[in-house]
Amino acid sequence: MLVYRANYVTSIIGALLQILLLKVVWTAVYAGRDEVDGVELSTMVAYVTLSSLQMWFLMQSSTSMVPERVREGKIAADLLRPIGLLEQTFAGQLGRACVMLPLAAMVLPLALIVGDMRPPASLAAGVGYLVSLVLAIAIALLIGAILGLIAFWTLEVRGILFVYRHISQFLSGALVPLWFMPDWLRLLAEMLPFQAVAATPVSIYLGRLSSDSAVRAIALQAMWVILLYVVGRIVWRGALRKVVIQGG
Amino acid sequence: MGRLRRLVRTVKVTGALLRAALRAELQYRANLFVVCVGLVYQGSGFAFIWVVLDRFETIAGWSTAEVAFLYGLRLTAHGLWVVPFNRLLELDITVRQGEFDRYLIRPLHPLLQLLTSRFWLGSFGDIIGGVTILGVALTLVDVHWSPVTVVYLLLALVGGALVESAVQLLISSFTFRILSTRPLQVATDTVFNTFGNYPLSIFRGAWQWLMTFVLPLAFVAYLPASLLLDHTGGLAVPAELAYVTFPVGVVWFGVAWWVWDRQARHYQSTGH
Repeated sequence: MLVYRANYVTSIIGALLQILLLKVVWTAVYAGRDEVDGVELSTMVAYVTLSSLQMWFLMQSSTSMVPERVREGKIAADLLRPIGLLEQTFAGQLGRACVMLPLAAMVLPLALIVGDMRPPASLAAGVGYLVSLVLAIAIALLIGAILGLIAFWTLEVRGILFVYRHISQFLSGALVPLWFMPDWLRLLAEMLPFQAVAATPVSIYLGRLSSDSAVRAIALQAMWVILLYVVGRIVWRGALRKVVIQGG
Repeated sequence: MGRLRRLVRTVKVTGALLRAALRAELQYRANLFVVCVGLVYQGSGFAFIWVVLDRFETIAGWSTAEVAFLYGLRLTAHGLWVVPFNRLLELDITVRQGEFDRYLIRPLHPLLQLLTSRFWLGSFGDIIGGVTILGVALTLVDVHWSPVTVVYLLLALVGGALVESAVQLLISSFTFRILSTRPLQVATDTVFNTFGNYPLSIFRGAWQWLMTFVLPLAFVAYLPASLLLDHTGGLAVPAELAYVTFPVGVVWFGVAWWVWDRQARHYQSTGH
């Protein structure tokens, strides 16, 4: 994992550059106003800092090992193991997330310098954030695992993953919070699971959601976890019939 | 005479290699999908600006259509460099694995051999996206068109492509000494692809100087766009620089090519 240090360096630089640019752009469009629609500029900068960090962490951890294993034919050995492939995928993703944690601890102070951050709006917001973050991680890992299964249908999944990464980043509200989106786009984002990955936890952290709507948002996240788990099971059952062992 | 004949031969051989690479790529129909991949990346960048400006209307005094013009200009110039030069990203792995040996024993400039070793169809996505955005923006912005401004626009596009190629050539040339430049190349590409889409005046003065004279980002699209749209206010660097975009590109590129050639002499094979 850590052999590919250069990849991590690239992704960290990318995340920091994104935070820097978002801060400059939001500062520019605020054009000297203290707040727009009741959102202060400092809240906005804290929002994009936290959401960019979170998306960087989740995108790095949620990559599935399945496409690589299929390409190398090693999937044969994986299928023989007494643990299901989906469970193996989760184990791999969680392992990666654990590797990412110390990295995230290193990146955090840099992000504070480049962007801006503040403590959670209240104790309840802090607790709510942690609950919401755990569910966001579960959603991101599930989507990653499901996308990894596409490798059973086509070997070349890098393009699909790239497209997913950019569309989901946009619809997650990590760059533009949902409250600044045009109505039709906000409706679309609200119907998809991506906003539960970034917008929900970050909005709770900053106290942008009342306790009622925060509880509702967390319930919605939990619903997505269950739904995606079921979808994952169904896709997996279909994938099993498509297994091709390369050079096995 | 000998020089000219050599040049003609170089062009012919390069063309033949390019055609072969393109044919190889078209063997796999699925590769056409990567064109869409390039479009999605650039499209999501533009979607962000569009959604923000839908709510906030202007950024540093630039309207959505004007920023779209800037974006289209930047993306088309980017496409013009990335179509011929995208293989530059593979230089460090080629050097590390000793594959560069092969390029040294064949009778064509090693850089041209590297660039024609494969053809990346995804690069067409940038050109298609850039020309589309630029085309739509042209109908919306208020520019006083004359033969002079049209020629200026075309030269600015080429100049922008030369500037970006030059920066990437320079960075990649250090591969021969430090063996790993890809992360830096990718990060630089990200800066061009993101920071380059906004009016330079949103950045603080020192950053504007950096992005004009150190990493010459401003020459790619910002300076030409600000001149054509008459938006030269709020700049910390002289707006007259916009007139010399093309010559600046030529000089940067010439220097970069020269440096690359010099650095290539430090190549050490991995010995296999």
